Amino acid sequence: MADFLRLLQNENMKIYRRAGTWVMYAFVVGIPLVMSLAIVSVTPEDPPSNWMFMFIASNILVNLIAIFTVVKAADAVAGEFSQGTIKLLLIRPWRRSAILLSKFLTLLLFGLTLTAAAFAVTLAVGTAFFGYTASPEDMFSGMGRENPWAYMLLWYLYQFISTVAIASLAFMMSAAFRSGGLTIGLSIFILLAGSLITNLLSLLNKPIVKYTLFPHLQLTSYLDGGRGPLPQYPTTLGFSLAVLGVHFLVFVAVAWLVFNRRDVA
Amino acid sequence: MTQSPVVRLQEVTKKIGGRTIIDRISLEVYPGEVFGFLGPNGSGKTTTIRMMVGLMSITSGDILIGGHSIRKEFPQAIRQVGAIVENPELYRYLTGYQNLVHFARMVPGISRSRIDEVVRLVGMESRIHDKVKRYSLGMRQRLGVAQAVLHRPRLLVLDEPTNGLDPAGIRELRDYLRNLAREEGTAVFVSSHLLSEMELMCDRVAILQKGRVVDIRAIRRDSESSEVAPDDVWFDVDRPEEALRALDGLGKGRIEDGRLTVTANRKAVADINRRLVEAGFSVYGIRVKTKTLEDQFLEVTKGESVG
Repeated sequence: MADFLRLLQNENMKIYRRAGTWVMYAFVVGIPLVMSLAIVSVTPEDPPSNWMFMFIASNILVNLIAIFTVVKAADAVAGEFSQGTIKLLLIRPWRRSAILLSKFLTLLLFGLTLTAAAFAVTLAVGTAFFGYTASPEDMFSGMGRENPWAYMLLWYLYQFISTVAIASLAFMMSAAFRSGGLTIGLSIFILLAGSLITNLLSLLNKPIVKYTLFPHLQLTSYLDGGRGPLPQYPTTLGFSLAVLGVHFLVFVAVAWLVFNRRDVA
Repeated sequence: MTQSPVVRLQEVTKKIGGRTIIDRISLEVYPGEVFGFLGPNGSGKTTTIRMMVGLMSITSGDILIGGHSIRKEFPQAIRQVGAIVENPELYRYLTGYQNLVHFARMVPGISRSRIDEVVRLVGMESRIHDKVKRYSLGMRQRLGVAQAVLHRPRLLVLDEPTNGLDPAGIRELRDYLRNLAREEGTAVFVSSHLLSEMELMCDRVAILQKGRVVDIRAIRRDSESSEVAPDDVWFDVDRPEEALRALDGLGKGRIEDGRLTVTANRKAVADINRRLVEAGFSVYGIRVKTKTLEDQFLEVTKGESVG
């Protein structure tokens, strides 16, 4: 077990010793700061509450975090292949599954850390610029007006689950295609075109759309007693989680099978 | 050799898409031995090495390292192997030292002092905290050797290790490998297409052609240079035809490329020389025409181009 922690240590070193990683963190810290400064500089008559600010800034950040996590997922396996380091990595007394697991856990930890950082920064910056409000009037969510902490925490949790789903998809492609560029391209396409694809599938008027991945990336549609991402096909949170879970398992299984089997040439 | 081999290839075969890349290769490498794996490009050297270190699956046959099968007991088998497969590709955005820490963490029991020791061993002290992207190919090669020997492997596998090294670096590597084999009893398995290199470095070589081992032979070291076994000797004389007649059956003489060539042992060479001088011939030079590995190689591979 202690030995496996050393694999995690290695994977983390390979993430945090790269300048690009710190640029990602700089975005997470910088965007809320710049937004606040912009709002304050126009001295609005009715400035947002810290919660309203947090909600808006977080919406921007979580999309960015999803993209950053996809970039790291793409690099996790494909990067080792393109650098050629995979040949030195796999000739150590570890099963390939252990190496792959260490990479996947490190990826999830990276996504979680960025998400937690976004939560902390948007909360802190919002409070610093707009003061702390216990029960904000301007939140459009009923739950957010009464209990903003619980609302934002739940909102972040749902977003993180979506990030995990898209990261595991990217991770699978990274292991299968061994091409970081292709993985990043396809993942971000799915991320951006997801709602379009959902709309397209809805035109079929068949409930099959319920079982596809894309709509369920919008878990926040269940907040405030919503009936899910598909108005014409009401679903429950449990159903969405089950669909995401099945996709997750398939992605991880494919990544594992491909990574374990293939010859390293 | 009475010791048990460090690595044993048993009828190793690799087929890719119905094509046989490696055809029933069997060989053994013993502790303290530098074993050369020689063959033209595309003969299957790297494929064989990839199977030895578990990067490629084996279609049939098996490879045992210290008695452990690389296919069935991978961690136990690979624990005893240090390797560079093709170029030493390391993490370019990490320093040399961070690279070593990375690989040290993957094997239990490698201390910081062992890392420092290896850094000194490969002579990288002054540059080890620089990023690998700023290293020359020769320095990456040294760092590659460092990561391969960190965990004191019983088998060291090096694929084309002299690529990109300058002559001084090649000599240094050669001395280091021979020393490692002699002092620590490490079995060293090197592939190369550079015949002259292999001749200086190896105790035995296997010659590979089109996925098959066509020959395995020991390299005769200079120190064991034979007193008795006859060699082909060139006598650079004036009037070689007449000189051949003057020999009168002393040694097995003939004219090759217009030069007098005699198959003779050490003592016979002296006798022949005396006879020629006494008969009034001018002897300008005597040269033993040792069969180089290159000659042997070309002989077995029937002149197929190398490298």
